[in-house]
Amino acid sequence: MRVLCVLLAHFPWRCEVRRNPALEDRPAIVTYTSGSRKLVLDWSPELEGLQHDMPLQQALAHHGEVELLQADIPCYRAVFNELLDALEEKSPLVEGPEPGCVYIGVDGLQLIYPDDDALLKAIGEAIPEAFTPQIGIAGNKFLAYLAARRSPPGGHRILNGDVASFLRRLPCDVLPVSMKSKGKLHDFGIHTLGQVAALFPGPLQAQFGPEGKRIWELARGLDDTPLHPRFMEKTMEESTALSSVTVSLEAILVAAESLLVRVFAVIGRKGLGIRSLTLWTRAWNAESWERTIQFKEPAMDMKAAASRIKRVLEDYPQPGPVEQVGMRVNRLGYPRGQQKSLFSEVRASDHLNEDIRQLEFRLGNPQVYRLKEVEPWSRIPERRYALTPTGR
Amino acid sequence: MVEDTGKTLRTDTYRPVNAPEPVKVEEDASGLPAAVREKQRQVVTAIEDRWRIDDEWWRREPVARLYYNVRLASGQRLVLYKDLVTGGWYQQSY
Repeated sequence: MRVLCVLLAHFPWRCEVRRNPALEDRPAIVTYTSGSRKLVLDWSPELEGLQHDMPLQQALAHHGEVELLQADIPCYRAVFNELLDALEEKSPLVEGPEPGCVYIGVDGLQLIYPDDDALLKAIGEAIPEAFTPQIGIAGNKFLAYLAARRSPPGGHRILNGDVASFLRRLPCDVLPVSMKSKGKLHDFGIHTLGQVAALFPGPLQAQFGPEGKRIWELARGLDDTPLHPRFMEKTMEESTALSSVTVSLEAILVAAESLLVRVFAVIGRKGLGIRSLTLWTRAWNAESWERTIQFKEPAMDMKAAASRIKRVLEDYPQPGPVEQVGMRVNRLGYPRGQQKSLFSEVRASDHLNEDIRQLEFRLGNPQVYRLKEVEPWSRIPERRYALTPTGR
Repeated sequence: MVEDTGKTLRTDTYRPVNAPEPVKVEEDASGLPAAVREKQRQVVTAIEDRWRIDDEWWRREPVARLYYNVRLASGQRLVLYKDLVTGGWYQQSY
């Protein structure tokens, strides 16, 4: 398998610059809110010492004079999806695991692009100018990623032949394994992939479990992770601006329902229902809110979809007064299967309970018990489960 | 919010599962189970495993048990424990 990896460093910040070119020369930090905390999502490249997900206060301690931008996740995702659409015209196997990182399967493209230069040119044409891609081509995803990481901004690196010498000096921190394992490697005095590759797999497995084998394989440039191309299903996007900013749940729900009307006007005629949708809102202070709702069975009408949306809106409060509501229908489906009760009759369990009640009325005392977990983790066996009378 | 069913919670209606059953055990000189007396006397041919649990030491009746996974002369396997507080022997699947 030959894989091409495209890395778009500082993707969120570049999306902001694309929207407002004046930001190009100003140091800026893109922040997002998690609960009551403000965290760093991205920053302009000239700012040093920052990390993803670090608290904003800590970032401001490094760089006091910066512009703060509120992350607009739906916008970044939309830009990224546009990019994936464009890349899918070059190769059908396109995986976008996270915004700013794309893997492309390039096996069999030789008939269209006779050499790597032609392929790189085609890929470069699909990427908007605002981004400076780093591109890597190698025999698997891990190597392609490393090659891209080690290529200059706007440039590329192709890994052919002696992979071991490329990997030898790379730090263990590039391994896509848990932080705990990386820390443990350093504790053992193992700091480079070359040091890992020199070991036997057995001791690594003994220390790190199944991850040890993966660490050893990756350090030798072996990675059999398959490509997971995204669904080619067409998505529908609808949005509406509210007449005035509001915190009223009813007003937001009405807006969402109006979007559902538009969606069902299109899909209803085809006998389709919604399998998955993403509801998003944008607050007046530019904060965004987004939730994806999966439907166990396709929502075939507005009522079914609206009731789920209402529950989600109630459970996950808005970050501020809302001025725009949008909906992206990710997956559609036909009402093919109906999930039925284990009992042949839906109300069988009700009948069963009624029979048990009758039995207890006649014979007295509980007659039928249900096994319940009490402390299933307990070391004392009799504390783990208990029998409780049915229906209590 | 869970709706109040109006029923009174009665702990006496709950039944334990896998409660320990008293069993007569003959000990050897070192205190290990040598034979089990149920319907008939059966000699312990092997002690395959042994472990101890100490729990709830903060309560008035702490739990201190020495479990034995034994094989009897008939080939039957049994989990026994000696209650280190009362000194009694019990049978219980673990």
